[in-house]
Amino acid sequence: MIEWSETHLAIREMTRRFVEAEIVPKLDDLEHGDLPPYDILRKMLATFGMRDMAQVRLGKALAKVKAREEAIARGETPPATVEREASGEEVAMQMIPIIELSRHCPGMVTALGVSVGLTAGTITSRGTSRQIERWALDLLTLDKVGAWAITEPGSGSDAFGSMKASARRVDGGYVLNGNKTFITNGPYADTLVVICKLDDPGSPRGNEPKDRQVLSFVLDRGTKGLTQSKPLRKMGMHSSPTGELFLEDVFVEKDRLLGETETVSYRTGVKDTFTSERTGVAAMALGIVEECLRLSLEYARTRVQFGKPIGEFQLIQLKIAKMEVARMNIQNLVFRMIELGRAGKGLSLAEASACKLYCAQAAMEVALEAVQLFGGNGYMAEYRVEQLCRDAKVLQIYGGTDEIQTSQIARSLLAG
Amino acid sequence: MKILVALKRVADPDNANKVKIPASGDKVETAGLEWKLNPFDDYALEAALRLTENGKNPKARVGEVVVVTLGPKECETQLRSALATGADRAIRVEATDEALDGRLVAHALRAIVAEEKPDLVVMGKQAVDGDNNQVGQALAELLDWPMATFAATIEEEAAGSVLVGREVDGGVCTLRLKPPAVITVDLRIVAPASVYSKHTDKAHKYADGVRFAALPAIMAAKKKPLAVKTLAEVTGGATPTASYAKFELPPARKAGIKVKDVAELVQRLATEAKVL
Ligand SMILES: Cc1cc2nc3c(=O)[nH]c(=O)nc-3n(C[C@H](O)[C@H](O)[C@H](O)COP(=O)(O)OP(=O)(O)OC[C@H]3O[C@@H](n4cnc5c(N)ncnc54)[C@H](O)[C@@H]3O)c2cc1C
Repeated sequence: MIEWSETHLAIREMTRRFVEAEIVPKLDDLEHGDLPPYDILRKMLATFGMRDMAQVRLGKALAKVKAREEAIARGETPPATVEREASGEEVAMQMIPIIELSRHCPGMVTALGVSVGLTAGTITSRGTSRQIERWALDLLTLDKVGAWAITEPGSGSDAFGSMKASARRVDGGYVLNGNKTFITNGPYADTLVVICKLDDPGSPRGNEPKDRQVLSFVLDRGTKGLTQSKPLRKMGMHSSPTGELFLEDVFVEKDRLLGETETVSYRTGVKDTFTSERTGVAAMALGIVEECLRLSLEYARTRVQFGKPIGEFQLIQLKIAKMEVARMNIQNLVFRMIELGRAGKGLSLAEASACKLYCAQAAMEVALEAVQLFGGNGYMAEYRVEQLCRDAKVLQIYGGTDEIQTSQIARSLLAG
Repeated sequence: MKILVALKRVADPDNANKVKIPASGDKVETAGLEWKLNPFDDYALEAALRLTENGKNPKARVGEVVVVTLGPKECETQLRSALATGADRAIRVEATDEALDGRLVAHALRAIVAEEKPDLVVMGKQAVDGDNNQVGQALAELLDWPMATFAATIEEEAAGSVLVGREVDGGVCTLRLKPPAVITVDLRIVAPASVYSKHTDKAHKYADGVRFAALPAIMAAKKKPLAVKTLAEVTGGATPTASYAKFELPPARKAGIKVKDVAELVQRLATEAKVL
């Protein structure tokens, strides 16, 4: 793929029109007010037929899980890994709306991605067919808002190692305790995937926190003992509510343990989750960079100082040239991801980490340079690069910090 | 009902400041312009789609919408987008804007109408680039069909006639047309209760504005038929009778002045502006 096809451009045009009609006029409320993003996102999913598409996709996934369960019931051993399928234009159809949303409101992508990608994705890839039927469709359509919680006040980059949240076996289920923080959609979520460690004094592997099995549970809003905080104040991504979760002796029945077995650790297969999360960041970065460049070009042409448009100063030209280099690089990475999807292939974890690292850094650099190019206006909310700049920063933090990506790339290459 | 909708792509009216005219003044520089469907044509397409469906279940089409444009290959982007939005077929007549005038376009459309035999031709009241407001009227004349211009409402009646509401100074003028007929539409045609096919319940309210194409429909539009014709095939030897003599940009606005008090303002209004 060397350029967007006519069909891609048509998708872009349609989603752009939607963003301009439905989101841009409400940006102030989303950014500086308390308007949650979910109604607009639901409208977007319905308008573009994404609800129907999600239903079809889920149907296929469910059929595979059922076939696997039936094979096991017959005493056969199903293949360890499920083959990827060539996805045609599916990757492009996901990425183009992300790019267009990110030009104005990257927070919306975060809120949507966590609900539809992370939460529903985790349930579909790890749940039993009963669990998928119970929770996944409502999440994919955003009829229910989803959250996915691993981070804790004392455990971030070292999410599994320092995790304190615990699950204790009791009659008929488990009792969960712990605190989670920085949880996207936390304040509004209806369905929450919470990751905990099994506290099992009788375990043959020992019950030291570092040795405990990692399990995940699906909780509903309003479950006794579960408190969802108000949105935390933060630097950017204001349209994506982020909050804390408190679990105090939360009793859950056995059928809320994802996979309905203790023998599979949450850590197995978690790389797939990381990989898909990291590819989404490339599309977000492209939207941010394209918009920063577009705004910067307009400003450099029209802002006059010392009797000429500032675009005639070489130091301003340098900024624009660097932005274009970043735009081309990120776009090429996005094209590659679309191509891989078409071929039924994916990125390796090292590649996905390298992409995320580059795209996040490039988006941040471009957005900072855009603010600089706009001068005082760049610092003012009215000129929009200010918001994109604050929003871009989080790309270097969530989904694994730059530092963690860096060491993962190197370690996975060194391991051969 | 079968409807022919004539579409034209225009330079994005929101980026009108990008329009450049070379020193020779003999043309508009089109390189680097962004193209969009003429907004009134977008409304015409929406009206045609509403007339060929039951508003409650727009996925099941009851009728046919054929879109046609005269323009270069790049215009197929706009045609594909119309197909994605719900049109059934598209026709492009190979041409460049410079080779056309309103009369020639009307002649070409007459030939297409003769072939397609639609019940209605629905089009925008004018294209926002030239603002000529000619083609619909000229086409109705050439076809000798009844015509309603600047439609704000269209209602299909059980008997097959259409009621067209036109907003005129001081009120609404309603025409009853017997198809085949030509209708040109104004912007209010996309309001929630502006257009009703005979299948749509009068209590139904549409979403305001033109509809969006769903992503699967955009994919499927690739496979819908798009026919290409030459200009010679459809103009029957007619040639443009209007030609462009000269283009110039509006003069740059002069800077205003600041007055120090009301007395000076009044004095200047009286002596310089001569409005008092
Ligand atoms: C807006 C937002 C939304 C989020 N949404 C979610 C969510 O929905 N669900 C969820 O579970 N979490 C979420 N997070 C949490 C996010 O994943 C973590 O913030 C992130 O993983 C970093 O963890 P930390 O904040 O504890 O930082 P720490 O891990 O404490 O890191 C502090 C600094 O030390 C560096 N560092 C840490 N370890 C190393 C090392 N080994 N080598 C070098 N440097 C190191 C880090 O890179 C960083 O610079 C969200 C965060 C934000 C900001």
